[in-house]
Amino acid sequence: MTDARYPQVRIVPERFLNPDTTERLLNLIVAVKGVRRVLLNGPRLPATVPYGPARGAMNPHTMRRTIRVGGEDVDLQVHVGYVLLELESSDVIPGIRAACDEAFTEFGYSVKEGRFMKTEATLADYAKYGPDADKSMIGMADPRSRSGPVIIQGCK
Amino acid sequence: MAYKAQYGPGSSIVAENRRKYMNPGYKLEKIRDMSDEDIVLIMGHRAPGAAYPTAHPPLAEQQEPACSIRKLVVPTDGAKAGDRIRYIQFADSMFFAPSQPYLRSYLESYRYRGVDPGTLSGRQIVECRERDLEKYAKELVNTELFDSARCGIRGATVHGHSLRLAEDGMMFDMLQRCILDKKANMVKYVKNQIGEPLDKEVKAGKPMDDKWLKAHTTIFHSLGGVAYRDDQEYIDYVQRIHSLRTKYGFMPVE
Repeated sequence: MTDARYPQVRIVPERFLNPDTTERLLNLIVAVKGVRRVLLNGPRLPATVPYGPARGAMNPHTMRRTIRVGGEDVDLQVHVGYVLLELESSDVIPGIRAACDEAFTEFGYSVKEGRFMKTEATLADYAKYGPDADKSMIGMADPRSRSGPVIIQGCK
Repeated sequence: MAYKAQYGPGSSIVAENRRKYMNPGYKLEKIRDMSDEDIVLIMGHRAPGAAYPTAHPPLAEQQEPACSIRKLVVPTDGAKAGDRIRYIQFADSMFFAPSQPYLRSYLESYRYRGVDPGTLSGRQIVECRERDLEKYAKELVNTELFDSARCGIRGATVHGHSLRLAEDGMMFDMLQRCILDKKANMVKYVKNQIGEPLDKEVKAGKPMDDKWLKAHTTIFHSLGGVAYRDDQEYIDYVQRIHSLRTKYGFMPVE
C-alpha cells in the first residue's frame, strides 16, 4: 500500500515508447535522487497468442525485450504508454521533467501529479502475497504472473 | 424517380471524404499495388493457387426451386460457384485513418453485392463468398481507403484503434502483424490476419504522411484535425434526425 505522504507522478508521452527510449528514460530517472518506485503501464505484449484461432502460437514482437536499467535487467511485458513514479518529495519533480526533456526529443509529453499506484491489496494480491505482504510491493507486479518487481540498488 | 443520393451531410473535408467513399460513382484512387496472392496470404483462408473449397454444389448443378426472386437476383460469382463464406476484418486508428468502421460498412453496402458487413467500435468485419471477398478486399486495401500504418488487417486481437501510435507512427498491434521497414519506408506483413507467421513478407506499401492522411481521413478529431463541433451542418443534421426520431419514432413528420 502506498503511503499518502509520498507524491506520485505519471509521465504521459504522446507516443508509445520503444524499448530503446524506455531504457534511456528509465536510466535518466533512476539517476535522479528521490525516486522510490517506478511502474511501467501499457497494453500487454504476451509471449504467445492468448486467444483467437492462433491461440498458443509464438508471438515475436520487437517491442518486447529485455532492457538494462540501473545495472539490472528488466523484461518488458508491455508496450510502454505510461511511466508511474512514486517520489520522496515534490522537490524531485523538476529532475523528472529534466529527464523527460532529455529522453523525449521526437515528440511531446506531459507530467501529471496525483495518485496512480494501487493503494489497497486486492483479493488477487491477498491470494498471492498473504495477509502480511510487504506493502511497498503491492501493485508493483501483476499478482497473477510469476514475475516480481525489479529492485534497483545503488542509487540512494 | 429523379432522386440523387446525397450520402451524408457536412461541409468539412471529413464529410466530403465520407460522401466520396460511399458514392459508388466515385472512382477510388489507387495508391498501392498488392497482388491477389498477397491478399490471399494476409487473409489466410486458403493457400495461394489452391482451389476454392465449396459450401454447396454450384448453382447450375443443383435443382433450384421455381422462385421469382431467384430469377430476379443475379448471383455473384462466389455464390454461383458455391464458395464458402469468409471474412476480412480491419482496425482503423483514430489518428486520421482514411476509413473507420461505420464508414466501411456503409461504403461496402453501397459498392458491393452479397456482403455482410459488421460494425464494431474499433474494428469492422465484412463477410461474403470467398472469391468475391478477394476481389473486394483487393479494392479495400489497394485504394485510398487504406493506409498501411494507420489501418490494420486483423482477424483477431484487434486492439489499437483508440490507442496512441508507436514512435514510428504505426498503430499498436499486440501481435505485430506488420512492421515498418524504416530503410525502405515500407510496411511489411509478417503474419496473416489471425497472427500466424507468413512464409514470406508481404509488402503493404509505404505509410502515408500526415498531410495526405488529414486530406483523406473520415474521422473527426479535435486534436490536430477537424473537430466534429466545427462542422455545423453535420451537427444540425444529426440533431434534426435525433429530434424527429425522439418525437415521432420511425414515422417522422415535420
